Amino acid sequence: MEWESDERELKAAGAVPLGGGRVGFLIGGWEIETAKRSILNSSLLQQWEEKLQTTHLPEMVFGESCLILKHVNSSIKLHFNAYDALCGWKLEALPPVEVPAAALWKFRCQPTDQVILDYDYTFTTPYSGSAGVEKSPESGRGPPGESICSPHWEDCEEQIDMVALSAKESILFYDEVVLYEDELADNGISLLTVKVRVMPSGWFLLLRFWLRVDGVLMRLRDTRMHCSFRESTEPVILREICWREATFKALSSKGYPTDSAAYSDPGIISEKLPMAMRKTQKLIVK
Amino acid sequence: MDAPVASTGGGGTNGNLDEQIAQLVQCKPLSEPEVRVLCGKAKEILMQESNVQPVKSPVTICGDIHGQFHDLAELFRIGGKCPDTNYLFMGDYVDRGYYSVETVSLLVALKVRYPQRITILRGNHESRQITQVYGFYDECLRKYGSANVWKTFTDLFDFFPLTALVESEIFCLHGGLSPSIETLDNIRNFDRVQEVPHEGPMCDLLWSDPDDRCGWGISPRGAGYTFGQDISEQFNHTNNLKLIARAHQLVMEGFNWAHDQKVVTIFSAPNYCYRCGNMASILEVDDCKGHTFLQFEPAPRRGEPDVTRRTPDYFL
Repeated sequence: MEWESDERELKAAGAVPLGGGRVGFLIGGWEIETAKRSILNSSLLQQWEEKLQTTHLPEMVFGESCLILKHVNSSIKLHFNAYDALCGWKLEALPPVEVPAAALWKFRCQPTDQVILDYDYTFTTPYSGSAGVEKSPESGRGPPGESICSPHWEDCEEQIDMVALSAKESILFYDEVVLYEDELADNGISLLTVKVRVMPSGWFLLLRFWLRVDGVLMRLRDTRMHCSFRESTEPVILREICWREATFKALSSKGYPTDSAAYSDPGIISEKLPMAMRKTQKLIVK
Repeated sequence: MDAPVASTGGGGTNGNLDEQIAQLVQCKPLSEPEVRVLCGKAKEILMQESNVQPVKSPVTICGDIHGQFHDLAELFRIGGKCPDTNYLFMGDYVDRGYYSVETVSLLVALKVRYPQRITILRGNHESRQITQVYGFYDECLRKYGSANVWKTFTDLFDFFPLTALVESEIFCLHGGLSPSIETLDNIRNFDRVQEVPHEGPMCDLLWSDPDDRCGWGISPRGAGYTFGQDISEQFNHTNNLKLIARAHQLVMEGFNWAHDQKVVTIFSAPNYCYRCGNMASILEVDDCKGHTFLQFEPAPRRGEPDVTRRTPDYFL
């Protein structure tokens, strides 16, 4: 059973189902839609490897899953997908993080005819969503890349109003989409997901990259976006990007537990991790 | 032919064991004392087995199960009941899924009841350390109120054979090859009764992966080997093997050929972690050593926690 919206509330808020088997609603001038599909099959995986010029991708790439928010009047489209996120991973190309067992391996490895692979197996990405203006409004569900221009996000002083978002306003639509996931060969977890909730007053989403390399480090890269539904003015989307990171060593020196079982829920851990970067930006939809 | 084992203490009989199997098939766990007796008997059988356990055809080779009990039941529906069909499981019975206890209990009970009909190898999850992080430990605490059953099972895991050899030509194991191992005799000669080490040949057999890159690769994690087609070809040639069958990696189709059909990955947990949407497969090796892959989808769920349901959450 998927989460089901309350029909009366939807009607009162003027939300119209997208129909045609699509999951989502037209509300407040936005088409908000999620798609959740299987992991990529072998042949698609191979195509992605060629396009991304890599031989290593996360073991679970939900390549056809996505979240799309399209502002109907302006054709501005925000979308969240694994492909763009993995492009970001390829570009950032962080140096590898060694697991604790690596210390033992150093003594063992003979350098002869062994190659140490050096891609970022944590799949850490700076991805904070994709935005574009759609060429043809009809092809609402087309792949990324058909945009003619990228809207500009400008730095701003305004903050997302977390207090207002804490109010228990009714949720008309809610979904969570996993974009990719890797178990790091049982050395932790790398997970990129996006959650969205739509209220009568506006929509809010959280794109989260969560990494735990057991015994070594945790990394959280959050992107939050909020947009109020306002009839009279052009919509403004606020975006807050916040990166946090800590080593297990640093956590243990603060007296926090160091067993991985204590760190299964990033929502709870978040405050324990020191902030590495934070910025707020806005996009005015015209 | 099925040579049920005589009772080795604890007062169990085959009648008793048949009842336990019938109970487990219903996905109802055994009591803690029953688990202790069962594992005691299993240990007697498993310690007699070789590090390279010989297996005759016909046999059906299976990959990771990961506590997906209802899908294991589906596997037996697709592949035939044990002991009507002979089975070889390549490890990773526990962790990730919701029914590790029932899954591993059933496989161990079948092993005790039909020791010649089923072979259960060790996977990298059949270890104390891994099960404390990925679910089996917590599940035992939840279902039995203490870690005793977890301890009983993880002590038994030390006795699971590491590899099997079907008709002298299909080499079966959980992970893959090791640069420290050239021949099957190398494997036969080491002492496997221990926790899975963090490095060394026993670790490699349970952890390594085939890769497109030739030669030996060391994972960017700094631990864990990958082996190329040249390595597989050399190993198969040296040991007169036709095929290496292994598990350990999720593949969308349930099986995946590598290294010019010298290596095959078999994965038997459909819709892994209840969200991947992947197929599962098992490999039937018939009397004439012919190969057939049987693919299957998740079993219809009854009363299983539904992880796709999303309570609307006021996330911030």
